[in-house]
Amino acid sequence: MTDHSTINHIVSTVPISGRISFARLDGTWSIGLSELYEMAGRLARRLRARGIGPGDRIGILAANSLEWVLLDLAALRLKAETAGFEPGKFDPDDQLTERYGVTLLFTDRQTNASGTLPISEVRALAEEPDDLDAELLPPVTWAPRDVTTIKFTSGSTGTPKGLAATVGSIDSSLAAVQEIFEHKPGDDLFVFLPLSLLQQRYWIYSALAHGHDVTVSTYEAAYAALRRTRPTVVMGVPAFYETAKRQIETRLRRSGGTETLKQAAGRMFGDRVRYLWTGSAPAAATMLSFFTEAGLPIYEGYGLNETCIVTKNHPGASRAGSVGRVLRGKEVLVDEDGVISVRSDHPVGYGYEYAAPGDSERVFGPDGTVRTGDLGYVDEDGFLFIRGRADDVIVLDNGKKVVVRPIEESMRTSPAIAECVLFCPAQTDLVAVVSPATVPADRDAIASQLALTNASLAKDEQISRVVVSEAPFSIEGGLLTSQYKPKRKQILEAYRAEIHDSKEGIHAA
Amino acid sequence: MRPDIESAARDNLSAVLNPPVGPDDLDLDADMAGTYGLTSLNKVLFLTEVCEATDVDLANFTEHDLAEMRTLRSVAEALTRHTNKVA
Repeated sequence: MTDHSTINHIVSTVPISGRISFARLDGTWSIGLSELYEMAGRLARRLRARGIGPGDRIGILAANSLEWVLLDLAALRLKAETAGFEPGKFDPDDQLTERYGVTLLFTDRQTNASGTLPISEVRALAEEPDDLDAELLPPVTWAPRDVTTIKFTSGSTGTPKGLAATVGSIDSSLAAVQEIFEHKPGDDLFVFLPLSLLQQRYWIYSALAHGHDVTVSTYEAAYAALRRTRPTVVMGVPAFYETAKRQIETRLRRSGGTETLKQAAGRMFGDRVRYLWTGSAPAAATMLSFFTEAGLPIYEGYGLNETCIVTKNHPGASRAGSVGRVLRGKEVLVDEDGVISVRSDHPVGYGYEYAAPGDSERVFGPDGTVRTGDLGYVDEDGFLFIRGRADDVIVLDNGKKVVVRPIEESMRTSPAIAECVLFCPAQTDLVAVVSPATVPADRDAIASQLALTNASLAKDEQISRVVVSEAPFSIEGGLLTSQYKPKRKQILEAYRAEIHDSKEGIHAA
Repeated sequence: MRPDIESAARDNLSAVLNPPVGPDDLDLDADMAGTYGLTSLNKVLFLTEVCEATDVDLANFTEHDLAEMRTLRSVAEALTRHTNKVA
């Protein structure tokens, strides 16, 4: 057994402290982690009696729940793999179980597919007392290269690719995060993103290993649950915090000065927050500074599905504009074009599963090094700064390379601009398509921001024209991803005529 | 549907919309997601706030109830059914 393996520790050791809570709209209930451990053991014995064992794959397609957690932990106790399927992205049909080699699929959706069980049956299996002569579970030991789970890339288009996550990568990430955040008894980590995302399960493993509390909620119940569960840490993403920020600002406006920023933020997040975690997508500097001023320190990090957490700001080392220092066990390599690759002591994997030929080779090196496609640099103190995607570099006909993200971010600092995407129709000058923050658009304010942004840029980087979209970009309109990121290609298609017509739009002075 | 509940519902929906729409300009029967771009995150935030404003216990609702509330009218009617407040 690997002495420092968190996974091996949590499958073999009854936790001595900590509770897990489940917070839904209609209420919160909790059990001790020692009870959770016992229930997972009973469930594992029942699954074993059904023939589930090492190498088998348990599929889970359901909303966050106790049953989800029990299945995941039972699988670890049996050395079986899990495959977490996000509801809404996958359907519980025969095609799914066949394609992903699922031995038994548990779901909270209606289905007649073979090899499928309602997830509601899990609780009874886990609660039913063992017979006196019940067989003990054989001890299991996970090796660093063993795979515990298949996770799926969250690409906005195409069939999701699979990634077989190794125990070594999970152990390594958990240890590195624990080193910088020191989660301990008294902490309560709030999780609401789908448990099908492996990183959300990390916080349950962390609770089992370090004796702190963890609260599992759902996307829909997150805001309502926050104020009544009073967590110390919130595991969120930028869109979640942006929505909270807008609401806190509205409350402040409406309070007419009777409420302070800290009070309004505390009413939303509770009064015990030690820090807010954000990742998965770039966070706006205005959002980060807003929460810091509100007395809720927020720490941005960097990582992909393929690399797990690579860098993270934290209470001991945080720098504005950066995504933090490189975690132990990871190495950031920046090539001459500024493209970031990540080398790991324990890679998440060495390639994709269920992917088209060539997909893995484009991203993974033979040693598991991942070419991220992101552009960035590391400063003299070891903080990583992300400048954009390598795909988002525009090369002008004079050879000048323009990284568009900082320019787009500058435009977005105007309250009149919700989104800005740059294009280069003739390889000579830049044209922006702007999604207005108000209807009708405030064209004067957009023109002012255009002048302001251009004043801070070198000549080649300046925007020549701004095309203002008729309606704000939306997910329903097909111009934003489900993560609220602009879909560059679709925006180009929708505004191709205006982008290419030099008479269109607001012209730079 | 009680007028005070409708008014609170209009007020709190208006507060979460981006781009903003005035409380009186909101159509009671419009689909809140399709017409006003109400995201699921904003929807639960809106419902949380309007429950507090009308003194309705949020625990009366489930995630399924929330999904079924597609218009401002359906929200106001659901709140009216559960309200404890005297008009």
